[in-house]
Amino acid sequence: MIQVKHVTKTYGKKQNAFLALDDVSFSIPTGTTVAILGKSGSGKSTLMHAMSGLDRPEKGEVVIDGENILTLKPRQIDAFRASKMSFIFQSFFIQANETCYDNVSLPLEIAEVPLNERRAKVEAALAAVELSDKIRSKAKNLSGGQKQRLAIARAIVNQPKILFADEPTGNLDSVTGGVVEEFLFNYSKKNKATLIVVTHDPDLAKKCDAQIEIKDGKVAAIRGLKTGAKK
Amino acid sequence: MKITDTIRRAGRSLRQAKARTLLTSLAIGVGAFTITLSLAGGQGGREYADAIVNSNTDVRELTVTKQVDESAAVAEYNEEGSGQASGPFAAAQGLEYINADDLKEIEKIDGVDRVTPNYAPAIDYITTEGQKKYQATVSTFTPSVTLTYAAGSVDGDLKDNEIILTEEYAKALGFTNFSDAIGKTVTIGATKLSSLYGVPVKEEFSFVVKGVSSASGLAFRSQSSLLVTNPAAEKIYTYINEGTPVYNKFFLVAVRVTDQNDAEAIKEILVKDGYDAQTAADVLGTVNTFINVLLGVLLGFGALAVLTSIFGIVNTQYISVLERTQQIGLMKALGMSRRDVGRLFKYEAAWIGFLGGAIGSGLALLAGTIANPYISEALGLEDISLLIFQPAQIIIVIVGLILVSVGAGILPARKASKLDPIEALRTE
Repeated sequence: MIQVKHVTKTYGKKQNAFLALDDVSFSIPTGTTVAILGKSGSGKSTLMHAMSGLDRPEKGEVVIDGENILTLKPRQIDAFRASKMSFIFQSFFIQANETCYDNVSLPLEIAEVPLNERRAKVEAALAAVELSDKIRSKAKNLSGGQKQRLAIARAIVNQPKILFADEPTGNLDSVTGGVVEEFLFNYSKKNKATLIVVTHDPDLAKKCDAQIEIKDGKVAAIRGLKTGAKK
Repeated sequence: MKITDTIRRAGRSLRQAKARTLLTSLAIGVGAFTITLSLAGGQGGREYADAIVNSNTDVRELTVTKQVDESAAVAEYNEEGSGQASGPFAAAQGLEYINADDLKEIEKIDGVDRVTPNYAPAIDYITTEGQKKYQATVSTFTPSVTLTYAAGSVDGDLKDNEIILTEEYAKALGFTNFSDAIGKTVTIGATKLSSLYGVPVKEEFSFVVKGVSSASGLAFRSQSSLLVTNPAAEKIYTYINEGTPVYNKFFLVAVRVTDQNDAEAIKEILVKDGYDAQTAADVLGTVNTFINVLLGVLLGFGALAVLTSIFGIVNTQYISVLERTQQIGLMKALGMSRRDVGRLFKYEAAWIGFLGGAIGSGLALLAGTIANPYISEALGLEDISLLIFQPAQIIIVIVGLILVSVGAGILPARKASKLDPIEALRTE
C-alpha cells in the first residue's frame, strides 16, 4: 500500500516560486498497476520523485507499507530504494560499455546481495526479458528495444515490490514498445508488485488497472482506485 | 555497496577510458620513476660508501691530526726558523704537527692500543734488476684495509722485508705476468735530506714482492702507492728525515683503540687535548651526508612531478564525473548512498595512483637493472651496483602514490556524491 497524503512541492523562491505539486493525495493498493497521466510539465515526474524519496516535498507524507519515507534519514531512504523499489527510464540509462551481466548486477551490488546469489538472479532477470543469450554482450551492441528490456531486467533483478516506469516506451516504436509493456505488466502480475507508469500516452494508461491524471500540479481525476486519501 | 564491488566497478570505469587513464597514470608514473630511482641510488650510494669505508678503515682506528689554532693561521716569522716544519706540508700555513711528545701523550690515554704515525717516506725511485728506475710513493700496509690481488696475496701480516706492488708498477718493472713478480726482489732508493754540504748521500733498500694489488672499486687511497709494513716505512723515513727539522713531526697519526666501543670516548678525550680525531663512523657520516643531500634534491624533483600529476588527476576525475552524470544519477536512484558514490570515485583515483606507481616503479626497476652494469663499468666499480632496489621501498612508493591520488580524488568525488539524482537523470 502506497499512501500519498497532501504532498506539496514548490520549486524556486518567493516571486519565482512554482507550485509543482499542490496538495496531492491518493492511495494505491499493493499489486496494482497505476498510470500517472499528464502533459509535459504537469508535475507527474515530480510526483514520481516524491513517491520514491528521490525528492523531498516540503509538505505531506508518503507512507509505504506503514512507513512515512519522507521522515527517514538519507541513508535509510537509499537502503529502502535499494531493497524495495526500482526504476525504468525513457532513455534507458544503461551503461553502454558494460556487459549485460554487469548492468543487471548493479542493483544487487548496491543492495549488498552476496556474491554467490547474484549470478542466478541476474540470469533469471535476463531470462524474464528474453535476453539470456546476450549475457556477455556489451550493452551498446543491443537494439533500442533490447536496451529497454535490459533496463527492465536491471529493474526487476532484485525483485522490488514497487516498480516506477517513467515513459518506458517513449523512445520505442509501437511494436517494440508493446513487447516492453508486456514484460512490465507480466512482472507486476507474477510478483504482485505495484507498477507505477508515468506517461502521457493514453493507450498505455488504459492498460493499467487505475489512472491518476495530474494537471498543473493537482490531481485532476482518479479512475480505478476505490478511494482517494481522506482530506 | 561492498568495498570489493566498488573497487571492481571503479577499475571497470577506468578500463572504459583506457587512453585517458593511461595518460593520467603516466603523469604520476614520472614521479614514481624519479622517486624509485632516487631511492635506489641513495641506497646504493650509502651501501657503496659503507663498503668503501669499511674496507679502507679499521673501526678501531682513529685518524688524528692536531687542531688548527685559528689565531695562529698567520704565523709570525721566526728568525731562528727552528720550530717551524719544512717539507711537504710546510706551505700550509697554520698547520700544526704532532711530535714525539704528543705521540707519547696520546699513547698514555686509557684504552689506546697503539699509535702509529703516518710515515710517508719520500723515496726517489723503485727498480729491479735490469730495469729502469721509476718514481714512486710508499704507504703503510694495514691489515684492515681490504685489497684485491692480481697475483699473490697477504695472509695476515706482511713481513718487514716484503712489499706489495700495484699492477702498473709490476708491468713497468717488466713482469708481464704478474705472478712472475712474486718472490722477486725490488730495490727502493732514497736520499738523506740532512746530508752535509749538499753532497747527496743515497741508500738502497731491498724488498721481496709479496703480492700485486689490482684496482678495486672499493679502493679509497691512491692506487699508485706501494705498500710496505709500518716498521719498514719507519726505517726509510728515519733514513731520509733524521736530522731535519721535520723529523718526527707528523701531520697525521693513526690511533688504534683496544675496544671499538671506546672509539667515541677516546675521540672526545683527544679533542679536549687539542687534537682533531675522526672515527670510521665520522668518515662514513661525511660521505652519507653528501649522498643524502643529493638524494634530497632528486626526491624533490620526484615530488614536483607528483605534485603536477595531482592536478592531472583532479582534472581527469572532474571530467569523469561530468561525463557520467547520468550513471551517477541512476546509481543514486537505485539506492546507492552518497558515501558509496564518493568512494567509487576515490577508488578510481586510487587505481590511477596504483597504475602510475606500478608503471613508474616498474620502469625504474627495469631501467636500473639494465643500466647498473654499465654504470658500474663506467665508474670502474666492478661488481658493485650503484642502484639498489628494495621491495619495501617500492611498495611504500606505490602505497604513497595511491594515498596522494585518493587525496587528489577527494574534490571530484565530493562533487559526484553531491549530485542531485533528479537533475542528473534529467540530463539528456
